[in-house]
Amino acid sequence: MNPEPFLQLDRVIHEKGRLPIVSLLAASPELSFTEIRDTLDMTDGNLSVHLRTLQEAGYVGVTKTFQNRKPLTTCSLTPAGKRAFANYINLLEQIVQQAKKV
Amino acid sequence: MESNWASEHLLVIRTLMERAAVYRRALAPMMLLSGVVGSAAAAAGLGLGIDSPRGFIGYWLAVSVVPLVGSFLLVRREALREREPVWSPPTRRVAQAVLPALTAGLLVTLVILVKVGDADVPLGNVLGMAWLPLGWVILYGCAIHAAGFFMPRGIKLFGWIFIVGGCGLFAAGIPDLPRITFAHGVMGLFFGALHLAYGIYLYFTENKKQAA
Repeated sequence: MNPEPFLQLDRVIHEKGRLPIVSLLAASPELSFTEIRDTLDMTDGNLSVHLRTLQEAGYVGVTKTFQNRKPLTTCSLTPAGKRAFANYINLLEQIVQQAKKV
Repeated sequence: MESNWASEHLLVIRTLMERAAVYRRALAPMMLLSGVVGSAAAAAGLGLGIDSPRGFIGYWLAVSVVPLVGSFLLVRREALREREPVWSPPTRRVAQAVLPALTAGLLVTLVILVKVGDADVPLGNVLGMAWLPLGWVILYGCAIHAAGFFMPRGIKLFGWIFIVGGCGLFAAGIPDLPRITFAHGVMGLFFGALHLAYGIYLYFTENKKQAA
């Protein structure tokens, strides 16, 4: 089996905590911090750490606003994040296809 | 081995993407509110003897505003409590899904309302008036079913109950009942009792899930 696709997997996305976050954001134009936290059943701290990593990689944009005087944090995938996620899915599909051929 | 791992990852991604697009906010309270209002309004409609075409349409249009506004306030309250935007992407998708069928129902109703004029005739004798509640039921079922693509699975089934029930009664014809009883009864059964039953079901199952 060609190990190439596996080696090309983006290590920022290919992580147990970050892949679900990127998957959620890929399905929605934007999601609030609490929506992501509750859907994935993560702690505030854990989610913050992963979001910061994704933000530093340029994959996720974080916007902080106020709604009714309460802070509201919304997250969305950047164009680079969308490309990286699409590429990640393609590589996973390649791995599955290769295994089927063997 | 590597293929299994990749397939599992793809499955996880698909599940999560589906979950991100699902609307869940305040479903049980909305159903309970609609059920209580629908049941009470049907009983009141019968009690008050509202049987003119204009009276019937006007009465139920006015009644429909109560759960509509109430549901919006419930959704808003929950969104504010969770510090989330009220007009979230899933909410937008659900609103867009229900809009065509509900608009069709409203427009047809308004046309009938205008066409019947001030004719002082019993319910059911003008433009098949007794069929109107069944039309509402079927169109409402279509709206709910469309929203079901962005909501938990049970909602689609709930929509189908309205569609099949409405069409079934349409096929069966009006039973040997006074028209007023039939018309308000249909409204009470579908928009009252069914919502109430589904609301109670959601209330207990959602609480159970949260407790688990």
